[in-house]
Amino acid sequence: MEKLMADLKAQIIQQLNLQEVKPEDIGNDQPLFKEGLGLDSIDALELIVLLQQHHNIRIAKPEDGPNIFYSVRTMAEYITAEKNKTA
Amino acid sequence: MQAYIQGTGCVSAQDNALFSGTVREHEGDRMPVADPDYKQWIDIKQIRRMGRVIKMGVAASHISLQDANLSMPDAIVMGTAYGCLADTGVFLNKLVTQHEDMLTPTAFIQSTHNTVSGQIALMLGCHAYNNTFVHGAFSLENALQDSLLLLAEDPSKQILAGAVDEITDYSHQILSRFRLYKNASTGNLLHSGTHGTVAGEGAAFFVLGAEKNEHTAAELTAVEMLYNPASEEETFVHIAKFLERFGRPDLLVTGRNGDVKNDGYYGAGEEKLFAGVPVAAFKHLSGEYPTAAAFAIWMTAGILKKGTVPAAAMFKGETPAAPKKILIWNHQNGKHHSLILLSAC
Repeated sequence: MEKLMADLKAQIIQQLNLQEVKPEDIGNDQPLFKEGLGLDSIDALELIVLLQQHHNIRIAKPEDGPNIFYSVRTMAEYITAEKNKTA
Repeated sequence: MQAYIQGTGCVSAQDNALFSGTVREHEGDRMPVADPDYKQWIDIKQIRRMGRVIKMGVAASHISLQDANLSMPDAIVMGTAYGCLADTGVFLNKLVTQHEDMLTPTAFIQSTHNTVSGQIALMLGCHAYNNTFVHGAFSLENALQDSLLLLAEDPSKQILAGAVDEITDYSHQILSRFRLYKNASTGNLLHSGTHGTVAGEGAAFFVLGAEKNEHTAAELTAVEMLYNPASEEETFVHIAKFLERFGRPDLLVTGRNGDVKNDGYYGAGEEKLFAGVPVAAFKHLSGEYPTAAAFAIWMTAGILKKGTVPAAAMFKGETPAAPKKILIWNHQNGKHHSLILLSAC
């Protein structure tokens, strides 16, 4: 899980072109949207594409998005759960 | 209808030091802009989504608004020939390499020609008239004409008008295949006497108003275009009529770009119509691009405001002291001719 979260932070920074943000600046439980990292709806679309490109996961229910993308930890948990389903 | 230039802003291969005699020298076949620290004007969260051309446009527009001491324009009108080329390239590349799947929104959103004026409006919270002219080498001139029409309709308006174009590695590579460019330095480009020029890019914005105020740099006296004249003679007849209406300028600023074929027009025109008029140039300072005349307006407005002509801009004749009337004559491939007259206030 720790390795996956570290990878996710690097992928988020690269995908969203977060200039001057380092992986260690993003807390595992820090909210990604609004008051946390300050991401917005366009970033949400970028994160959906990130999941597809890097983890081969398509989100079946868009309404689950806010929970999945709440933090790096919730994203990692979702990816782990999805990979376990297909394992 | 004339207008007053209340503020100017430019992001180009040069900077304000040009007026104090310091020229940024370039060598090679492309002349990139001297990127300022864009974080001065753009929030770090917003800057990450902006391509270079957007940052250039936003910065130039903000500088011109600051220069005019204006927080909110009544319209935003700009011209661009190439638009947001870099993001268009990114989007099209992904379209091909990812087989039209998993395309990210940012590059698509940022790839349209009107993204720059839209981004300026978003940052200002400006819900007023917003228009982008994409008319090749006449993009800037059409934006200026539209601005003049807006001012004719409502003289109380303050218009933010300008132009922006960028070079990307792709565009430069493609255009180089047509042998448009050659290696030259700022100092020798205009005297090279061979085919080809140096690619350029830049953004320049101006605040235009119908009334003169304490910020006014110059009067934009006239903007005229001549498209695809049948002969050199037709071009000269058009310019002669223009001069009959507005008089001879104290200084002629030509769009000489170091290409022997391109520059032949200016040489012949100067001999026929501008005998004794000192001649300056600007493309050895900015590079050649479809909206380069915006750089010329920025430079000319600076000359009129400061009352001195940068030595590096002079091409022929004696440098005039405090010129009052300056004509910019620019053309691209002999097809798009524009005449832009600026006067001192």
